[in-house]
Order: sequence, then structure tokens, then C-alpha cells
Amino acid sequence: MRIRAERDDLADVLARAARAVGNRSPLPILQGLLCEVSGDELRVTGTDTEITIRTTLKVEVLEEGKTVIPAKLAADAVKRLPSGAVAITASDGEVEITGNGPRFRLREMNVEDFPTLSISEGGDGFSVDSKSFIKALSQVGVAASTDEARPTLTGVLFEKTDDGLRLVATDSYRLAVCDLPGVDGPATALIPYRALRELGRSIADDEMQVMITDRDATFTSGRGSLTVRIIEATFPNYRQLIPDSYPARLVVDRASLVDAVSRASLVAEDHIPIRFHLRSGGAELSVSRQEVGEETEQIEGDYTGDEMTIAFNTRYLTDGVQAITTDNVVLDTSDPLKPGLMHGEGEENFRYLLMPVRL
Amino acid sequence: MRIVIAQCTVDYEGRLNAHLPLATRLVMVKADGCVAVHADGGAYKPLNWMNAPNHLIDDGQRWIVTNPKGETLTITFGEIFFETAMELGDDPGLQKDGVEADLQRLLADHPEEIEEGLELIRREYPTPVGPVDLLCRTTEEGTVAIEIKRRGDIDGVEQLTRYLDFLNRDDRLAPVRGIFVAQVVKPQARVLAEDRGIGWVEVDYDRLCGIDSPHLRLF
Repeated sequence: MRIRAERDDLADVLARAARAVGNRSPLPILQGLLCEVSGDELRVTGTDTEITIRTTLKVEVLEEGKTVIPAKLAADAVKRLPSGAVAITASDGEVEITGNGPRFRLREMNVEDFPTLSISEGGDGFSVDSKSFIKALSQVGVAASTDEARPTLTGVLFEKTDDGLRLVATDSYRLAVCDLPGVDGPATALIPYRALRELGRSIADDEMQVMITDRDATFTSGRGSLTVRIIEATFPNYRQLIPDSYPARLVVDRASLVDAVSRASLVAEDHIPIRFHLRSGGAELSVSRQEVGEETEQIEGDYTGDEMTIAFNTRYLTDGVQAITTDNVVLDTSDPLKPGLMHGEGEENFRYLLMPVRL
Repeated sequence: MRIVIAQCTVDYEGRLNAHLPLATRLVMVKADGCVAVHADGGAYKPLNWMNAPNHLIDDGQRWIVTNPKGETLTITFGEIFFETAMELGDDPGLQKDGVEADLQRLLADHPEEIEEGLELIRREYPTPVGPVDLLCRTTEEGTVAIEIKRRGDIDGVEQLTRYLDFLNRDDRLAPVRGIFVAQVVKPQARVLAEDRGIGWVEVDYDRLCGIDSPHLRLF
């Protein structure tokens, strides 16, 4: 195998495919990138067997063939070469990477050891605007669990609704729902957020095609594809968790709330909640840690409902407020021990349900 | 236990010679013969001491303590402020953090928290290389050996691997698969367990204990 391409283009396809390569894989071959050259194209594949990223690049092909190169080292090596043309040659168990003087000679990994990755046939296909899709994923993704002992909660639920696609994630303490009207989504699929968060940095383009089968989901754009094994589990019945109405509502300026929560976070630790004393004219935020001290401040806003004090986990609250993009944030509540619902004022496509902390 | 608070000097002769000048100190003689001289500071370490077995000669104003190696500790008393002796009896020993033992007890009562369908055969099931924490049967044919740790690292996986090796030699039990259970299973332990076909499960101790967490859940 022998190719020549511009350094920046080559570094880009290698780095993006390398995002699927795990750091802790027990199989050494999974630390490698499969590079296949035919026609006028280089295809690069990185995988940890659950997530597979394929990228392609038009290159000057001097000799067709394939090789497996150490992912991180090769990607970094190409990136650090002087700008201009870079050549990659694989022969006799070595891969030579050269460009304007410097020359790396890396040990080739065994191509036969690289796992064969099958692509499922059929399934539901639809296209999405990448920008709004990635934004929606990042909004709900904050609520996805990272606890691998509960794999169901590490996924984002894709669900078809009457007017589009709904994305849902929960770690049991909070639940985030985002609707994408006009997107013709699949019936239901539970897709690991660990893979979805890589979309923006690996293959997202103006538009993406999404294909979901009963085994995996594949996201494809002009920059490549990402395939991930879907989670075969039943997502919690989230609809019953969201009340139809709330007797109390606080509306505050988002930027002010972000700043106030940020200040409170200086005193709070993960297990110390922020208290909201909700009263006419806004809310008093306070946080107290016995061994450190306390912080208190007033936030002006509109509050309707009975006065109450409700407390939330600092990090979960921060995640929710930051996921909202409108000028004002609405916090609907009913009881200090029942979940509060946050969303943007006049914008209900994104909703963030947050369980309070008992005081 | 004999306790004396007194002004004293202490001289040690043995591997080296050491001298503590006259000062007020606490001198302890334990039932097994250990002698320790403490100052009024420091957490636990005496200024000087002599481990049992040894021989104590008490001539009133002076104690001479000797051990089989020929080392000698001589304590010469000045004014004695306090002296008492008391039989303490056998000590029950240090109670280590009970979480691991409690986890085993709780999971023995509720093996379904580890995996649905598990039924306990026995706690501390003996193998030639030590007892495995729980041995369970499943609804399918087969046996499950469970090793429980507070923090799950690769040593625990190695330990369970040894148990499985021996348990699978027993035709009455085989095939025996393993599940490694801990409050937190470290990433290396997860990889090693999966590589060896051993399952792993993280359990919430507080929830098993029925402790009411202030962090409420949606479901």
C-alpha cells in the first residue's frame, strides 16, 4: 500500500477514525486503524467493537493495499509532520510515514487480526440536519448515565412522535427530553450516548443519514460513518414521570441563574445541594457547607405559587440550566419532594426534569 | 495491665545504648509482659519499649526488664504520682469496617440483587484455596460463584478465578461461572473479568441496607 496526500487532510481522517479506538482494550489490534486503499480512495476504520468510525479521503494512490497502523501514534505522527504532502507506505511489516524530511517507520499490525465488521441490512432510515441534531443530543446527553452497571441508562432513546423525533435520556435523578419536529425517526431505539457524543467531532456534516436496524445504528455523512451497537433493553416509562401541570412557576433570566449557580458551586460540593427559597419576586439561592461556609443571593424574577424551599443537586442543576438556550429559564415545581421541570421560556421542545434533594 | 505515672529515667542496653533523662512519664506493663514508656504526646509510639517475652524484676524504685536476647531496659523511678493495676481480660480484636461482611450478609439474603433467578446454596463455600463468598444456583442449569468486595480491583478477580478453577473440577457443581460483586468495580477489574468470562456487578450498599438517601430518584 502506498499513498500520498496533504498532511492536514490525512491527519484529519486518521484522527477522526481514531476517536473510536479505546484506551483500555484488551486486544492490541483494537489499538490500530485499518487503512484500505483502492481506486482513488483511502478508507480508515477505527473500532472498539462496539463503536466503529469509518472515514474516507481522496488520495493519490501509488499502490493499492491495506495495513493496520497504531492509531494514536500514526495520527500524531502525521499531524506533527511539516505541512505539505505526506506519503504512507506499508511493506514488509513496516509502515513508513514521510513528509518534507522527517520519516517515521512504524511496526505494522497484523491485518488479519483486525475484526471483521459486518453491516446490518434493512432498518429505518432518515436524514437529520446535523447542527440541530447534535445540539439536541448534547442537551439530552447530560442526563445520560455513565454507570456501565446500568447500561439501559447510558443510552439515548430515539422515539418516533406524531410530529417528529424525540430524544430522551435519564440517569434516574434527572430526565431530559428533546423534540425534533419534522424528523421522521425510527419506532424506538436505545443508542449509547458514549457513541452519540462522538458524532460532532467525527463525522457530522451539514446533513446526516441515520440508519437503525434491530442490531445497530449507523450515522453517515460526506465525512464518513459511525456505527454503534444499540442497547437491547427496555427504557423506563418516562412519560409517567412528567406531570401534566404544576402549581408553581419561577421565571428568571438564564444568564443570572447560570452565574448564581456558578457562584454557589464554589461553596457546594457534589453532595451539597443548592437551596431555592421561592417567593414572590424571585428566589433566594443559598448553599451551606459546614466546614467551609455559605453563600446566599437573591435572584429577581417572576414567581407564582406558594412560598417553598426546594433544593437541587448542584451539578445536575448546572447541567440543566446550561442546556437551555433561551434568555429566560422556567422552573415549574409542585412540592419540595417532587421533581421540578426546567425549560426555556416559550420553548418547550427541550425539557429537563430534575429530582430535588431532601433537606 | 499495670499503669504507673511517675518521674523516671530509662536506660536501654542492647543493640545500642539509649538514655531517657529524668522526666514525668507513663509506664505500662501489659499482661503478656510487654513494657512501654510513653511521654505526654504522640499517637501511639512509646519512647522506649520491650516486647514480650521478657522478665521484669521490680525492686521498688527500679525495674529491670530483660528479654531472651539479653537486652535490658532499666527504669529508675523518682516521685510516683499514680499507680494502678487492672485485669482487662481477652480483647475481642479490631472490628474492621463492616461493609464487606455486611454486603455478603445482605446479598446472601437477596442474591437476586446480583442477578435475577439466583438462589443461595451456601455462604463461605469451601474450596482448596479458600472459601468463596457465595455459591448460588441459577434457574438454568449450573452454579454461580460470587466473590464480594467493597472495592473491586483486579486482585479480587484473580481470587475468583482461582476459586472457579477448583470449583469447576467438581462434577457435582460444574459448570460454575463467576460474578464479581463490589460497590465499585475498577475499570481494570472489569476488563480482566470480562476477558475471563466472569461477570461483574456493582451494588449500592446504602440501598441494600434500606438507608434512605437524601438524593431522591425519579424511578
